[in-house]
Amino acid sequence: MNRNLARVVATLLGALAVALPALAGAYPLQVARNVMLYMALAITWDMLLRSGQISFGIAGLFGLGAYASILGVIRAGMPAWASIPFAAAFSALAALLIGYLILRLRGMYFSIVTLALAEIFRIVIHNLHDFTGGPEGIVAPQGVIFGGSASALYWLALGGLAVALGASIWFERSKFHFALTAIRDNEIAASTSGVNIFSWLLATFVITSGIQGLLGGIFVQSYGFATPDSVFSADFTLLPLAMALLGGIHGTVGPIMGAVLLGVASEWLKLQMPYGHLVVYGIIIIIVILFMPRGLYGLARKMARPAEGRAE
Amino acid sequence: MALKRRATILAALSAAATILILLWKPSVINNGLQQAGLYAAIAIPMGLVLGIVHIVNLAHGEFMMVAAYATYFACRATGMDPLLAVLPAAAVTAAFGWVVFQLTIKRALKAPELNQLILTFGIAIALTQAVNILFTSQTFKLQLDYVSASIDIGEDTFPVWSYVFVAFAILYAVGLKLFLTRTTIGKAALAVGQNPKGAAIVGIDVNRVYGLVFALALALVGAMGALFLTKQSIFPSVGSPYTMKSFCLVAVAGIGNIPGILGASLLLGISEQVLRGFRDTRAWADIVFFVLIIAVILGRSIKWRKS
Repeated sequence: MNRNLARVVATLLGALAVALPALAGAYPLQVARNVMLYMALAITWDMLLRSGQISFGIAGLFGLGAYASILGVIRAGMPAWASIPFAAAFSALAALLIGYLILRLRGMYFSIVTLALAEIFRIVIHNLHDFTGGPEGIVAPQGVIFGGSASALYWLALGGLAVALGASIWFERSKFHFALTAIRDNEIAASTSGVNIFSWLLATFVITSGIQGLLGGIFVQSYGFATPDSVFSADFTLLPLAMALLGGIHGTVGPIMGAVLLGVASEWLKLQMPYGHLVVYGIIIIIVILFMPRGLYGLARKMARPAEGRAE
Repeated sequence: MALKRRATILAALSAAATILILLWKPSVINNGLQQAGLYAAIAIPMGLVLGIVHIVNLAHGEFMMVAAYATYFACRATGMDPLLAVLPAAAVTAAFGWVVFQLTIKRALKAPELNQLILTFGIAIALTQAVNILFTSQTFKLQLDYVSASIDIGEDTFPVWSYVFVAFAILYAVGLKLFLTRTTIGKAALAVGQNPKGAAIVGIDVNRVYGLVFALALALVGAMGALFLTKQSIFPSVGSPYTMKSFCLVAVAGIGNIPGILGASLLLGISEQVLRGFRDTRAWADIVFFVLIIAVILGRSIKWRKS
């Protein structure tokens, strides 16, 4: 009963999401695109977190994908649409190489190394003037993909989100779920039960990074230009992290809730205060960690559970 | 024995490298030393917190930034010299840090390491953005004459003001060493750092020690905030690179090894300045420390696996 209800709600929301360009103007569509982008990043961050590994390097792989896409168009003459899957492949390949080296690290060491790698990517792109355009950035000569049509750009972003959602749901329903949960709970127990920890982590890291690269490609093609500071912006690490934490980690629903709430709130705050609207993110992170480590979704489920128990 | 020989070879090699650079580009060594002093003086308090409270404080540089802002406005209002503000800045930052510790970090001490990491990350964002709201992202700087002090040797001019950072770094290292080995509170702190449960059993109030050590570390950072202001301009995100660099230096030195931080700072400061010394490589100086941190962490992890 409950599951059917959830399915109906999800279908309705999906239909609404697809049909939104027919109902809303340019500004709401723009906000929706931003929210979907961060939502997708939050979901991919959470997917890796389900194994207990916390990455601070989302912006690094996102930015790498963004530059792969725009340089693919400019330097290799790719069509804009083809450069987006290329961005995904490029980030996934980079993640494969990096992951091979760093996925043996745990805890804060893994986190700090991902953060450092993101900075290294940014500095390298920043300094390779002739190839990447350097600090001033690079502009795609043919401009924005799809001629800048607001609805088309919206559907493109929705497509990116759908990939992240699909992967996350697949993770929840396949062996990934059991493997990652086992690794998170106790690595020794997991490996003695025959879970190959390193391979599962590597696969997860490559898949999530590939999606982050894909989103980077979508982002850059939707604006037609990239600068190191815009695509490697700390926001792309920070906002998804705060969204997933607020909504609730270790699942698909939490990051979605968090992204809708924080995404809309921050758009509104951006209009209210031009400087420092990100303070909300800091405070939310602190409050969530201290008082509701399971996030809003966890809180809602906790409140719903006793009621269910009584009904049965 | 093998370890000793390796250490000797390493020391000889670095001494030879230093002499070579000194002969060939003396300003590199001069700037590198001063930069190393700044890095070390900021990193040592982080090493203290990590060694005893076992918390990676990702808001470390941000606390220094807040101290620098407070000092700036105090100095502008009263016309005071920031050097006079070093002690008050230390006291105020320590009090602020103690309050932050009691309100937030204390509650997360028993939580998983990742929660602590994210918590201090959140504090860092909140501090940076709060300053951003209050003072916008505009940069502030005090104009002081004495910071351009320099010494002429032959044809070269060497700025010397930043040796004050070196002095503070050495002061911090020696002072902490004495504090931890000679005073009762220091010994208690060391005991808590080594084994909190054992320390609690012999009657040490572990949470109080954590609070005190955190406040002490912030006092040292606060003093650095006032000193930092003498030389550099300040803006909301000025502290965050120092958070990362401090963590890197502490990780390179090894947790609990405060003299090691001095050595690691020298390595980082001088190698950055070597790259900055040439026009072609100048832009790459920022990358040194990220490469260093990754190399050190990966190197360590390989060593752990072997042993």
